Amino acid sequence: MIATIAAHQFRSLRRRRVLSAFGAIMIAVTVLAGVIGWSSHRTIARVYNEAVVLLGADGGAAPPNPFELKPTLSLLSNMAIYVPLIGALLALIVGNLSIADDQSSGIGRLIFSRQVSRSSYFLGKLLGTTAVVAVVLAASLFVSIVALLVANETAPDVGDLSRLVLFYAVSWLYLMVFVLIGMVTVLCTERRSLALLSAIGVWLVITFAVPQFTSGLRPTASLNPVTDPVSTTQTFFRITSHARPFSVSEQYKHASAQILDTASGSAANALVRILPIAGLAVSLALAAFWLVGRHDYSRSTSSG
Amino acid sequence: MASAAARVATLARHEYRAAVRSRVLLALLVIVVITTTASVYVAAVDYASQLADYRAYVAAANANGIQQVAPSPLQLLSLLRGAMEYLEIIGAIIGITLGYLSIARERSSGTLPLLASRPVSSTELAAGSALGALALITTLVAVTAAVAVLSLGIIGNDWVSGEQALKLGLAYVASIVYLGTFYCLGAILTARSRVAANGLMLALGIWLVVVLVLPQIGDTLDPDNQVPGGLFSALTLDKPQEDLVLSHFSTYETIRTNIETASLAKHYERFAFAMTDVKEKYRGLTLGQLLHVKRSDIEWMLLYAFALGVALVRSFRRQLVNPRGADS
Repeated sequence: MIATIAAHQFRSLRRRRVLSAFGAIMIAVTVLAGVIGWSSHRTIARVYNEAVVLLGADGGAAPPNPFELKPTLSLLSNMAIYVPLIGALLALIVGNLSIADDQSSGIGRLIFSRQVSRSSYFLGKLLGTTAVVAVVLAASLFVSIVALLVANETAPDVGDLSRLVLFYAVSWLYLMVFVLIGMVTVLCTERRSLALLSAIGVWLVITFAVPQFTSGLRPTASLNPVTDPVSTTQTFFRITSHARPFSVSEQYKHASAQILDTASGSAANALVRILPIAGLAVSLALAAFWLVGRHDYSRSTSSG
Repeated sequence: MASAAARVATLARHEYRAAVRSRVLLALLVIVVITTTASVYVAAVDYASQLADYRAYVAAANANGIQQVAPSPLQLLSLLRGAMEYLEIIGAIIGITLGYLSIARERSSGTLPLLASRPVSSTELAAGSALGALALITTLVAVTAAVAVLSLGIIGNDWVSGEQALKLGLAYVASIVYLGTFYCLGAILTARSRVAANGLMLALGIWLVVVLVLPQIGDTLDPDNQVPGGLFSALTLDKPQEDLVLSHFSTYETIRTNIETASLAKHYERFAFAMTDVKEKYRGLTLGQLLHVKRSDIEWMLLYAFALGVALVRSFRRQLVNPRGADS
């Protein structure tokens, strides 16, 4: 029964073109990340060459090339911004639709007139949405490999491929948090639009507000993969920085940077950083499971 | 029979009251006020500490007979950078939400067919709704501004002067125009969608591109943003040398600037940052000079607001000609 519900959920999102829209947008941003990475890398190399000539003419010594030690995967560093920015919003919509559609179409009322348990229903929904996110990220992974192949003019080695796969696995976990937020907000509210806006409110808090409280990151600074370290010597930050391990968007960005080798720290260290993300995902899954069990599916279709 | 102005005022009052009753809006307002207060608090604590250091330095210099000391490099209004960024990101969502709720509410309550049977023109309906939303946006921005100024005075231990208040006032007027433009976007797309939630999703998609993606592309393509602390600092280049190097990349810089210019959010940000002394290059200018330098950003903001305002009237006209009842 779980597999049937999961397959139905997958087909439903595919028919509504949510799967193709989600996939197309993620592929587009992957290409964009590759193009931006390639373009800025090329420009920086040219700026460096110009600087060497200029400083040499003035008799000064040329500084070391700040990009010399850039790893191959740094071309995709913008993906660590696009996943929490664009991917997370799309994941909210997937979560919202997976529950809201059954309410507005009346399927929810129909399905529980049959021998279907609430746990099977929820697990089927979770499995279906998990598959949607996994398919989209698999397509994005493929495009990333092609982008690296084109930009670096050489195929990524096994180490780079492993890092890339790990990055997408962590991204999948992160996006599942937002799928579950999308589900929980539908189950907690009476209208689907109210649910969507509440979910966006949660996304804003996780993505922009919490990093400012815990690390002093201004909202627009959160949009750049390269950020200046912020002074956190104030008493305020000395207190709030204790909550930094629970700032999941920061943990995701740091873990991604370590996995893609654009920041110091091993990939193993990065795995420790994803523990709070995994913890939040499990907590939300339990909350959604509980809410599905209590939800009144006998209500008539809800309005927008 | 009530005059057109009275009808518009009635519609505006209805819009204001209905939006205030909405829990979604209240939740978003709470978020923006809390984040503004917190961001000003964080910046103001640091400012107060640096100001105390500077005053101690001036007092020590005076005690030693030194009368001429360097002026303070601290800029009070620049503490509002975080607050302005929140208005740029969250404020735009509030505008879209107001626009969406304005249409969705009328549809779900079935009042549009009723309105269509009354002597209310589409222009009056659009004007009433827009004025009500504008009053609400003004309330929100005024509360944010009051919280910001009080935080600067109480926590930062420095009060805003007359000239600073004028500049700050202009920054907040720009905020009202900016939020109002996003209100129009939310209302237009919801009015043109058969299912209100689809219009909301489309508006949020545009918000994502305009407010986050386009500025992000422009920012990450900036060579100086590629290295922590700045590329040109890492290469030990001073400003004239930086300009000389960048003169060889005029096409690249033009493309990068044009990507940013396509975003309304970037125009708002540039204007607000200039008015709040965030950008050092504008700090020495008078208000007249500032407005002259920033006229392009002002023109773009007004152009977007005007274009979407006209589109809003057209959308309301369609709504009245073909009113939909309860929405699914």
